[in-house]
Amino acid sequence: MANRQPESRIWIFAEQRSGQPADVVFELLGKARLLAAAPGWKVGALLIGHNVSGTAALLENRGADEILVADNPGLEDYRGGNYLAVVDRAVRNYQPDVVLFGATAMGVDLASRLAARLRTGLSAHCIDLELNEKGELAAVIPWPGGDFLGRIVCPRHRPQMATVSPGIFDVPRSDFPEAEVLTIDGALNSDRGFYRILEKKPEERKPGDLENARVVVVGGYGIGARENWALVEELASVLGGVAGATRPPVDEGWVNADLMVGQSGRTVHPRLYIGVGVSGHLHHLVGVKGTELKVAVNQDTRAAIFDHCDLGLAGDYREIIPALIAALKEPRAGGDL
Amino acid sequence: MEMIVCIKPVPDPKQAGKMTIDRETGTMIRRDVPSVINPLDRHALEASVRIRERHGGRVTALSMAPDDVLPVLKESLARGADRLVLLSDRRFAGGDTLATACVIAAAVGHLGTFDLVMCGDETTDSGTAQVSAQIAEFLDVPNIMHVDDCGVSPDGDLRLHSRNEEGAFTAEGQTPMVVSVTADINEPRYVTLMDVLDSEGKEVLILSADDLPLEESWIGLEGSPTRVLELFEPERKSRAEMLSGTPAEQAAVLADRLRRLGFRNG
Amino acid sequence: MDFTLSERDRMLQKSIREFAEKELPPRMDRMEETGEFPLDLLEGLAKMGILGVITPREYGGSGLGHLARVLVLEQLGRICPAIPMSLEVHHMCVYGINTWGTEEQKKKYLPALADGKTLGVFAVTEPGGGSDVGGTQTTARLDGNDYVLNGRKCFITNAHVSDIWVVAAMTGEGRKGMSAFIVEKDFPGAGTGHVEDKLGLRGANTGELVLQDCRVPKENLLGGEGNGMSVALETIVKCGRTGMASVGLGILNAVLEEAVKFANERVLYGKPISRLQAIQFYLSDIYSDLEIARLLAYRAGWLLDNELPADAEATLAKQWICEAAARSARKAVEIHGSYGILKEYPVQRLLRDALVTVPAGGTAEIAKVVLSRQAMS
Repeated sequence: MANRQPESRIWIFAEQRSGQPADVVFELLGKARLLAAAPGWKVGALLIGHNVSGTAALLENRGADEILVADNPGLEDYRGGNYLAVVDRAVRNYQPDVVLFGATAMGVDLASRLAARLRTGLSAHCIDLELNEKGELAAVIPWPGGDFLGRIVCPRHRPQMATVSPGIFDVPRSDFPEAEVLTIDGALNSDRGFYRILEKKPEERKPGDLENARVVVVGGYGIGARENWALVEELASVLGGVAGATRPPVDEGWVNADLMVGQSGRTVHPRLYIGVGVSGHLHHLVGVKGTELKVAVNQDTRAAIFDHCDLGLAGDYREIIPALIAALKEPRAGGDL
Repeated sequence: MEMIVCIKPVPDPKQAGKMTIDRETGTMIRRDVPSVINPLDRHALEASVRIRERHGGRVTALSMAPDDVLPVLKESLARGADRLVLLSDRRFAGGDTLATACVIAAAVGHLGTFDLVMCGDETTDSGTAQVSAQIAEFLDVPNIMHVDDCGVSPDGDLRLHSRNEEGAFTAEGQTPMVVSVTADINEPRYVTLMDVLDSEGKEVLILSADDLPLEESWIGLEGSPTRVLELFEPERKSRAEMLSGTPAEQAAVLADRLRRLGFRNG
Repeated sequence: MDFTLSERDRMLQKSIREFAEKELPPRMDRMEETGEFPLDLLEGLAKMGILGVITPREYGGSGLGHLARVLVLEQLGRICPAIPMSLEVHHMCVYGINTWGTEEQKKKYLPALADGKTLGVFAVTEPGGGSDVGGTQTTARLDGNDYVLNGRKCFITNAHVSDIWVVAAMTGEGRKGMSAFIVEKDFPGAGTGHVEDKLGLRGANTGELVLQDCRVPKENLLGGEGNGMSVALETIVKCGRTGMASVGLGILNAVLEEAVKFANERVLYGKPISRLQAIQFYLSDIYSDLEIARLLAYRAGWLLDNELPADAEATLAKQWICEAAARSARKAVEIHGSYGILKEYPVQRLLRDALVTVPAGGTAEIAKVVLSRQAMS
């Protein structure tokens, strides 16, 4: 039942697992609401799954004008083709101008396939979004290479699509007018493009998780070797914080990919950030928000990280960090200097 | 198993510091930085070679790149690929992920039937992580990303373990399929001197846009829905206050400041 | 004339570089501390084809040849020079057997020297002197089907980590009185003496071989009776000196990298010391030494691969490069200032390693005698 209306639409994909909306869904709603400030714009949340009426209730006063719900047992788990079929049909029926996804595993996969199916543009892992009066979306991404941001547009194709890194946008208030809940077609006509899930294990969120940590110590490529990683962890632990990594230590296999902080990893909001052997690429730095104090330890005095920090220590971390750990462990001296 | 591994040459991540960006065009000026095969693609290649060693079949390394990086890509042959197919054409240049996936999917189709296309989860030089899913869409086959274990069940289906920030799952799917892998899937073996020698007789096929069922409007800049409006410098803090003195002295000053700000354990 | 490396050479360079960067650093502290060769590395060296780089494929090697050997040793030496030091002597053992061995000898020993069970030894030097090959005092007397060997060999690389030794001994008098033998560690009367505690190249084993009525079957005579001088000299000059040149070249690579890194990181008067001209001159000297070393070493390997005369060129390469490595390492230590003498910084080790390469395989003075002959010819 395609009830097309003259309005312009921004849709966000309301990713959920077992009925629980992903954190990024609220962040997307908040941003979409801001973007849709001009008259004639509507914010829609596209909710797909099975037994998700409770989920819809969680979203109804968070900034959406309408929540489009496809509910079907075949949509219980995300299996690629099943969600894609439903989203594809909804987009063709309603023709939204903008469709936003969280840059999560599910969001990236689904958005990529949808963009290919619709032959439209998709901006990846955006850190900001802008909408002009003509309804053209500009997506801001850290440009490969590290020093610049890029503004990406999609001039001739619709919908304009983007995935947005989690943790970037603020969570909206919860006193928006109640959204209208619409049921959309969730039928699956074929099982093309599906796989079977034999077993699943949700990730256990630890209380010391990076996103919530008040101190984050990040090790970069300058750490040099897997066996030196213990120093990063020890400093984090002495400060009651959590250790994270930039991309190269992950690529080198020194640490698990879970620890990656940055555009395609986690976004952290610590009071204190210490980067050790971190060069300072934007891909990493966009994942560090709202810090009170940013400290960098790097041998290379020209490293870009020193342009993004409050305090810099130039020298070999293998000397500085053990000395710092020792100094922090010392019982406080008699009086302040 | 007929397997195709997508590989991409990227500037050596170990020398990333030497690269600069042309602000007008947004292209990377690679200057002295040599290209290497994207690190995660090496894991994909290793995974395919291991499947071939257990179950037989053929591994084709496939890349869309300028032909001057052919020597770099030939490393895939030393790493166990049976042949290398290079898609090289000036008309491919400037393509975004959609145009790139479109060309690669066309080449996969052109090469005949396949069971598995393998990619690295993302590349170090762009990191969009979109291409594998888009290739799968163009080929109209299922895809799974973030795969850290991959095997073949007795009835010939793929059995895959995938882990992402939300959790892990084990899935089974019929071939053909597109899979993209993480670094956890394996430890790529070293290239031995014998491997280097053995790679020399292997087939290298170079294809242009004319060899593939493509329309001009699907490829390169023309086939790319996205456009770079501009590059700009982010707001940055003013330069950090640099501590002075020996490493121990600097550490002592920092420790003192952290204590004052209340960042002290216990 | 073509000074570019082939695609194959560049690929093997890259693969060895990756192997070296991953496999050597975790073993180096222990090597430095104990002076012992890391035997757990042998399997990897074999699999990579490094042990058999000049061994023909039919005997279990990769048969890539001498330029490839230079490239391989250079890449290993860039990380840990003690490893190519051990390997270069191992390759001399292979070279001797492959060049003068009978089919039976090659079949028996070359695969064993490529598969990682052992390193090889090439033993000429004695307490009485190394460079004076003619002064060899170890004797070999024919007794039935065996030769009986008596004597001591010293400064022998791999002495305690090898099962297969090529040994020079006197079967008669004068130039034609020397013969070469393949001795197995387990032959009766074969043994090892003490281990040297060296200044540098500490992870390369150096020590004594002791032959006490050591019975060596007649079929283990290498290259025929009376040909030992040729076996020794050709192996030392062609294979040994090119090998030592490669070790020095590896050191120079590391020296330049460490010097540049430190000069860029060390800040004095508000800027990195690499901006000071005095430091730039040092870096320019080290860079020049490295580039010249590379030309000399690659040429020696290339000449050997093309079966062209290479004695003077290999000698020049060895002598010049090892001295260059020592002087450049010293400059790198000076760039580091007081840090240069701290154990945490690799330059002090590189200097010690370089100093050990200078007399190894023939002193600079002996090399100069050889070169002066070439100059006057």
